[in-house]
Amino acid sequence: MLTDSRFALLLMLPAAAFLAAFVAWPLIQFVYNSFFRYNPIAGSPHTFVGLRNYLQALSSADFGNSALRTVAYTFIVVALEFVLGLTVALLFSGLGNRSRIFRTIFLYPLMIAPIVAGLLWRFLLIDNSGIVNQLLYEAHIISSPNQIQWLSDPNIALFSVALPDVWLTTSFITLVLFAGLQNVPGDIIEAARLDGARYPTLLARVILPQLRPVIAVALIVRGVDAARAFDVIVVQTNGGPQNSTNVLSLLVYNTQIANGNPGLASAMGTIYLIAMMVIAIVAVVTIWRPGSES
Amino acid sequence: MNGLETRRAGTRSILWICLTVLVILYAFPFVYMLFTSFKTPIETNAIPPQILPSTWTIQNYITVLSTQGVPQSFLNSLQTAALSTILSLVLAVPASYAVTRYRTRPGRIFILLALVMRMVPAIVVGAPLITMFHTIGLSDTSLALAIAQTTVSLPLSIWLMASFFEAVPDELDESARVDGCSRLGSLWRVVLPVARGGVAVTAIFAFLASWNDFIFALLLTSVRAVTTPLQIANFQSQFGLDWGNMTSLAVLYSVPVIILAIVLQRHIVAGLTLGAVKG
Repeated sequence: MLTDSRFALLLMLPAAAFLAAFVAWPLIQFVYNSFFRYNPIAGSPHTFVGLRNYLQALSSADFGNSALRTVAYTFIVVALEFVLGLTVALLFSGLGNRSRIFRTIFLYPLMIAPIVAGLLWRFLLIDNSGIVNQLLYEAHIISSPNQIQWLSDPNIALFSVALPDVWLTTSFITLVLFAGLQNVPGDIIEAARLDGARYPTLLARVILPQLRPVIAVALIVRGVDAARAFDVIVVQTNGGPQNSTNVLSLLVYNTQIANGNPGLASAMGTIYLIAMMVIAIVAVVTIWRPGSES
Repeated sequence: MNGLETRRAGTRSILWICLTVLVILYAFPFVYMLFTSFKTPIETNAIPPQILPSTWTIQNYITVLSTQGVPQSFLNSLQTAALSTILSLVLAVPASYAVTRYRTRPGRIFILLALVMRMVPAIVVGAPLITMFHTIGLSDTSLALAIAQTTVSLPLSIWLMASFFEAVPDELDESARVDGCSRLGSLWRVVLPVARGGVAVTAIFAFLASWNDFIFALLLTSVRAVTTPLQIANFQSQFGLDWGNMTSLAVLYSVPVIILAIVLQRHIVAGLTLGAVKG
């Protein structure tokens, strides 16, 4: 007769074996490749180069710039989504059950493929014939329909490519925060109201602290996804103009596939992966502080 | 409802107006895509662009559906998503049950590792998988693509199922055991039927992760197993900027899942918010 703990292990075994074979093993190979130089297209032999790929990655301006862009992109996405998502969640809460139909409409972008969103926004933002500039022009906000070169001005392209990501997933933040708001105990809010707290004070002193764990989870989940963004950027600008949207996922992809240098790509990817995990763990520990909340 | 709901009618109308404006802005991109898909090529590229088509045509839809490879890509997307969903559920259900019911140390380590694996960028796993699938003769197959996509959906499925099983009281399978059910039997006949809402949510998310995937399809398919997202992207490179055709294919691909979302709204919201709100 199997003991309970053996039985539990047996149930976990298939999933564990799958993850070991198709995530851990590729990951090990990926890290292993980072110590070699070879070209899969030319079929050249593997040459052990020690840490040279890492030195090359760390000393190249491309890698450093891409890392900074990834951080900036993640920040733009998460900040915009948080402000918008919280605003809408508060509006929903203010209206209570009457907001139901709007909540349904808000759900739909979550179902759309990132690649569709990326292409669609590229079409909306296209220079001189895009509908966004046209509407801004008709509203007299800009003086000519091609005043803002959303995707071809290197100074703002990183912001523009983030828009479809924000459009797609603000709903996630909204729904999570809305659910969190429903769980804020009514008597705490009532007590603050009786003490004469106005809405901004109520928000800053009572609601946001209560929501802290929920906000942390939502921001970490979105942050990790934004730092890995590939689809929306590749179909909008493919890293351009002048590399201004060339984030790490694109740099690793292009080094691996287009430039045929998997050794260097693996070294870059390994650093990227380690950095992401360290940041995510630090974020979980400091922002979330599991256990410290009631 | 708690004290956040406003009681004053005046404030409420202001909130309504703000929300209506926001929702219109939010819905606009998709609505514009829908209109564009019914425009003629000349109108699609007109300067200045108009929101509504002056003559409605379904020519774009006819063109994309008769483009070689497009109907097949829909079948491929469906087949891959079905395979990936089944694979995710078959692997996640027993594992999550074991983690939540038996609370062993390996179980806790396992579920944490699953969370860490969710952070791995697709390109990092995808590149070595190209070689792996080539070696085992699975290059350019729906099965290989489904396996790759499951590396993303399985960790999520494990976490979702674990939180749903957490909500099923322990006493339920204890009494099943007393009544003579085996351990596997009590999972299959007692716990799983109770948690079937959770299974549905997990299935939806696994399905969506596969249906909307682009990068694994880009890395792992070339001819036979190509899915629709790749075909959509092709319309903008192969034939210049063919927005009319691109948008109609994108509409065809998105509408089924949007309908799914509206029908299963309650479940999807539950799945999205469950883990996060429980903290």
